[in-house]
Amino acid sequence: MSDHCPSVPTARRLRRRPLTRLGLACCLVLASTASNAATPKTALVMGWNIDAISTFDPAQVGEVVTGELLQNTCDSLADFDPADERKVIPMFAESWTVSPDRKTITFKVRKGAKFPSGNIATAQDVALGMQRFVKLGFGNSTTLTEYGFSKDNVEQRIVAPDDTTLVLTFDKAYPTTLVLQAIAANRVTAAMDMKTIMANQQNGDLGNKYLATHTECIGPYRLAQWNAGESVLLQANENYWGQKPALKRVLIKHVSESGTQRLMLGQGDVDVARDLTPEDLKDLESSKDISIAKVLRPQLYFWTFNLSEGPFANEKVRLAMRYLVDYEGLGKTVMANLGMPRASFVQLGAVGALDEEQGQPFKLDLDKAKALLTEAGYPDGFAAKLIFGTLPHAAPIAQSVQQNAAKIGVNLTLERMANAQLFARVRGREFQSAMQAWQTSVPDAHGNASRLVYNPDNRPEAKLTQIPSWRTGFQSKELNEKVDAALLEPDAAKRDALYAELQKEVMAKGPMAIMFQMYNTAAVRNDLKNWTWNGFRTYYAPAAK
Amino acid sequence: MTLSLAFGRTLLSVAATLLGLAALTFFIGRLLPLDPVIAVLGPNTTHEAYMAMAKQLGLDQPLWKQFATYLGHLLQFDFGSALTTGKPVAGDIARVFPATLELASVAIVIGTGLGIPAGVFSAMYRGSALDHIVRFVGLLGYSTPHFWLGLMGLALFYATLGLVGGPGRIDVMYELDLEPRTGFYLVDAALTGDGALFKDVFSHIVLPASILGFGAITYISRMTRSFMIEQLSQEYVVTARVKGLSWARTVWVHAFRNVVVQVITVVVLSYAFLLEGAVLTETVFAWPGFGRYLTNALLAGDMNAVVGCTILIGVIFVGLNLVCDLLYRVFDPRTR
Repeated sequence: MSDHCPSVPTARRLRRRPLTRLGLACCLVLASTASNAATPKTALVMGWNIDAISTFDPAQVGEVVTGELLQNTCDSLADFDPADERKVIPMFAESWTVSPDRKTITFKVRKGAKFPSGNIATAQDVALGMQRFVKLGFGNSTTLTEYGFSKDNVEQRIVAPDDTTLVLTFDKAYPTTLVLQAIAANRVTAAMDMKTIMANQQNGDLGNKYLATHTECIGPYRLAQWNAGESVLLQANENYWGQKPALKRVLIKHVSESGTQRLMLGQGDVDVARDLTPEDLKDLESSKDISIAKVLRPQLYFWTFNLSEGPFANEKVRLAMRYLVDYEGLGKTVMANLGMPRASFVQLGAVGALDEEQGQPFKLDLDKAKALLTEAGYPDGFAAKLIFGTLPHAAPIAQSVQQNAAKIGVNLTLERMANAQLFARVRGREFQSAMQAWQTSVPDAHGNASRLVYNPDNRPEAKLTQIPSWRTGFQSKELNEKVDAALLEPDAAKRDALYAELQKEVMAKGPMAIMFQMYNTAAVRNDLKNWTWNGFRTYYAPAAK
Repeated sequence: MTLSLAFGRTLLSVAATLLGLAALTFFIGRLLPLDPVIAVLGPNTTHEAYMAMAKQLGLDQPLWKQFATYLGHLLQFDFGSALTTGKPVAGDIARVFPATLELASVAIVIGTGLGIPAGVFSAMYRGSALDHIVRFVGLLGYSTPHFWLGLMGLALFYATLGLVGGPGRIDVMYELDLEPRTGFYLVDAALTGDGALFKDVFSHIVLPASILGFGAITYISRMTRSFMIEQLSQEYVVTARVKGLSWARTVWVHAFRNVVVQVITVVVLSYAFLLEGAVLTETVFAWPGFGRYLTNALLAGDMNAVVGCTILIGVIFVGLNLVCDLLYRVFDPRTR
């Protein structure tokens, strides 16, 4: 500490003065309180903005942080292979068989696994848990309802004839891999302690309120503590059936400010920082103690148009807008380490996705945009509104597009708003154009085809507010049929070809100008080993020190 | 006026103030273009689930009815559940408020302990180098954003010099050792008798409290200085000096006593503002306090939490005003 306090003879001289004495005292007190920054050897400590956590009920969870926590606390029947997210491997189910007509899948569930309450998990718990998803009808229920399950038929179509067998019966011959991917992605097939949950039910809520603060599942970790806006503590499950986690605890500290996260990471107060800015990530690339982990995630950032009225109803106008985005410039600056240019609605890495080059044929081209506008009947441009939220990259991208648009006479008025307000406006079709992110839950082209292209009922009163294509007012009978055909095509190569055609067509006339596919990035201290993740999953159990 | 009558009137005015606050916050909250249902269910929920949740939250009722129901619960001290945390608002506040109270209390001790002497000395030696320094530092305190100061403070004292603990209230190593009994970590740590734990908690609070305290110092010192300058130009000061009293004794024993009441008002006001929660400081220091809780609730349209917090702020202001009144009676014989 002698570096920071005056040398002894000087100190002796200065001590005669009262103010200097006070300063010296402060210096000594601070020096004596200096903490030795290091995280415990038995814990994984992350700095992350966890403000969005509002519940741990798997039926209701719709945001990234809780999704990741549930993936490490609630085992599903199947899981993504950590090495290749397109492959699905058994997890809580030991195996499964598919009927020749592909309409029935029979799972063999693990025997003897225990819930934290001591109850033994059975196939019945999985069946009741799945039925609960459909009956509650929150956003995640679509993972099951889109495969034909409904409140009326779920008790007949999801059944557990004995303690280790679970049978799912579908209305159509959906691709089994797609169904299994959906199972792996969402916690819809989590084995949940239904006896405990139903014992804590309030006013027929199927335990929704109780599960806001509990995870009654089986997983490598269990939720030990959640202090909203402060921290989440996961404790290793000593009785776990699978590979025991290497670290006993996972502590997530709520640190919303990225600058603070970076300082804590540098000091070793956290092992992983999850919300660093592109600038911070770039600076850390040369660090000896810290590595940057980066993986493409199934999230797209796009400019979405309302086709109900105005110039965006014209597909040539929408195509022109795609030429106003400076993919390359933004990709190297604002989006460096955040995302890569992508125009196809199918994310890179998914089954059926066009490759990097074919999936991004656009570039900034004002002449082309101008020509398209002239063809569309807007040679002098037009005026329109563009709304966007509070994501850090939202404003710079919107401003860049606004500047380019102005050059061809398109006068865009920008309005920034709270994300909750943006969602409400877009869901209610109360917008002209908007920029927002969308994440699919499966590594298959159908994940986004069913949301960003397919629109079963375009009437305003249909209120399919959960489907982005409905929000835009876009409906094409022909494209709907193509989405259906690709979904049910049994031959993998033919299915890929159908999706390739669909992607090209949608890039030309779809209701959204898709601009970027996002990365998951994290800065990880080198003393933490085996940080394992892919676009869909982060695996805490292998992490070691 | 009898004491009971005065007490009754005070109570009535407090009740009216709180009712007004609750009403104003509630109705302004409902006018905000934020959707609490989306805050709960996320943007990708079905219309049916959306409507069911709106009904469950009572949002399908007319506004006056929603307010009447809310008021009914409020009278039974039931603030409802926060949408963003799923937990009762009262419990949430009980968890986050001690963090802010502790931070604000340490900050106000720093602010008062340094601000008052700085103000008095500055007035005593008006126009001197010391006066200029105090005024310059005061100006800096006013004009420098706490957000920036916090980050710079962390970069220097935590990341470079390693003199203080990092963001948060306590080190990860101790996080699980400290059982919150009072919610004030300094007290809780002292109760355990573990010196190292107490040192750790202190090392975490000292920097954010100093930065907040710096803001308080500037305000308190400037106000104290101007009160003192006014007193020092009075004739009784000259008389005291002519009588042979030392300058220091004249200032501290005679002049300062006359400004104590005004200084109390300034200190109490500073404390009240600190208790509202310093959002930016709490954000930079990852301090799980009241200000951040309120801001997040507001951004999510979580009106139960917002109204609960607003009423608490109202109670704090009213309570501190009463304390102020009491202190006036102690220090100013004319008000007795």
